[in-house]
Amino acid sequence: MKNNCDSQKPIPQPNLYINTRSFWEAAKQGKLILQFCPETGNYQHYPRPVSIFTGKRNIEWREVSGKGNIYSFTIVRSSLPGCENRSPYVIAIVELEEGVRILCNIHNCDPERVKIGTPVKLYWERLSGDINYPAFEPDKCFKK
Amino acid sequence: MKKKDVAIIGYSETKINLQTGRSAYDLAGETFSLILDSVGIKKSEIDGLSVTNSFSEGANPLFASYMCDALGLTVSWLQVNGIGGASALCGVARAASAIRGGLCQTALVISADAPTTAWRSNFGAYRNEFQDPIGINGPPEMFGLIMTRYKAEYGLKVEALAKIALIQREHALLNKNACSKLKTPLTLNDYFNSRMISDPLRLLDCVMFCDGANAILLTKPENAKKLGIKKMVYPVVYAELTNFNGDKSCPNITETGFSIIGPSALRKAEMTPKDVKMFHPYDDFTIAVLMQMEQIGFCHRGEGSDFILMNEFSYNGSLPLNTGGGQLSAGQPGLAGGGVNLVEAIRQMFGEAGERQVQNPGNAIVTGIGVIPYARNWATSNIMILEV
Repeated sequence: MKNNCDSQKPIPQPNLYINTRSFWEAAKQGKLILQFCPETGNYQHYPRPVSIFTGKRNIEWREVSGKGNIYSFTIVRSSLPGCENRSPYVIAIVELEEGVRILCNIHNCDPERVKIGTPVKLYWERLSGDINYPAFEPDKCFKK
Repeated sequence: MKKKDVAIIGYSETKINLQTGRSAYDLAGETFSLILDSVGIKKSEIDGLSVTNSFSEGANPLFASYMCDALGLTVSWLQVNGIGGASALCGVARAASAIRGGLCQTALVISADAPTTAWRSNFGAYRNEFQDPIGINGPPEMFGLIMTRYKAEYGLKVEALAKIALIQREHALLNKNACSKLKTPLTLNDYFNSRMISDPLRLLDCVMFCDGANAILLTKPENAKKLGIKKMVYPVVYAELTNFNGDKSCPNITETGFSIIGPSALRKAEMTPKDVKMFHPYDDFTIAVLMQMEQIGFCHRGEGSDFILMNEFSYNGSLPLNTGGGQLSAGQPGLAGGGVNLVEAIRQMFGEAGERQVQNPGNAIVTGIGVIPYARNWATSNIMILEV
């Protein structure tokens, strides 16, 4: 299902501050890859120029399951510039099974029914011909 | 461990207002002129300058140097501070260190910003890729996330947040520098009827950006005496922590750096929360005030709502809170906002707060909060304990 306001979202520009080409290439193929620190066995997100655990550049991209649950959420009701047709929309912090959190929108769910702990799975939003953007939707039950 | 070797000898503040059409430099010039007059010294006595970064001049990486030039100062110590709302307070601490270290003798800490007249900042970094498309414009959305989690972990009584908003508004009504648009009385109904911005955050839980400037002057007490200055306040303890939980992938977002530096600052000042005469916490959102009360140690974690409902925060109450109205009701002059509550604490301790004067405030806690990172609580917490 495609969000009817996708076109209004700012389109990200890969590689503006570090090399995120792999992330966006994988996203195009429907795969969520995140930075992994092999020395400590931890994931980190958003992508950093170093491992936040060791300070070293020994980091690799690894695919994650795309399953997790909602750690916290908010329903944005104000009409921010460029988002006039979107509100109300849900912003959540999703905690993935792999022990890392991601900021995202929650789709295919009545905003009033989102709860902490709700199991969610990946949902790709097509923002442009080049950009698949990771979002989430409830893993089961209470769809709209 | 308390230090009284450097003193705050003056403060000044412009009126805080919306869309003044003025620049940070012009506002800084006004507050600079005011502090010279009120302290009664020549500008040639000032040989150190701390400048708070601004949103309105955010595109200029040489802002502090330009400010120094605009004010006609020649200094042996120049500092620029970029930890958001924690910057004014950290400027005072760094100025005190510079004076102690002999880098300068008399330092001016100036904060000026005009974001409602001109916005020239772009945070860059990861935000274009990993934040903007999600529709996170700034602090309100992040505080909505923090509040939701807090509510789930501890329970949150909304009437406690309302009480903070209302008492600070009462204080702002007595403050001639408070933003004119905010100088209307608030009722409990007004609070509950204010629109949701980012659930569960309401409009009246939030600050409003304004333009404005403030300044603080420091020197050694012996130099102050030589200059004939009588009123002094001592920044006896200071602590700061930046990028709290910055090396964790799944931190508790209801925790902040205040849980570490709050209790330790009080210990260093040999005080307990009961000894605190005035509390001037950084107040970008009402929930931030509640969380600081808990984490500095006025009450236990999760008991913030009850603590607020059971205590009196008026200027003549048991714990006077942001007696100038705070940023919530006096207005937040952009990044100069971190100086608003600091200046009010000093004004009170100088006995110059007029009809909202706290009786004999022998000490005060002032705090700062800076920078909202990706999916965490605020990055910088800082705290200063002032004594007469």
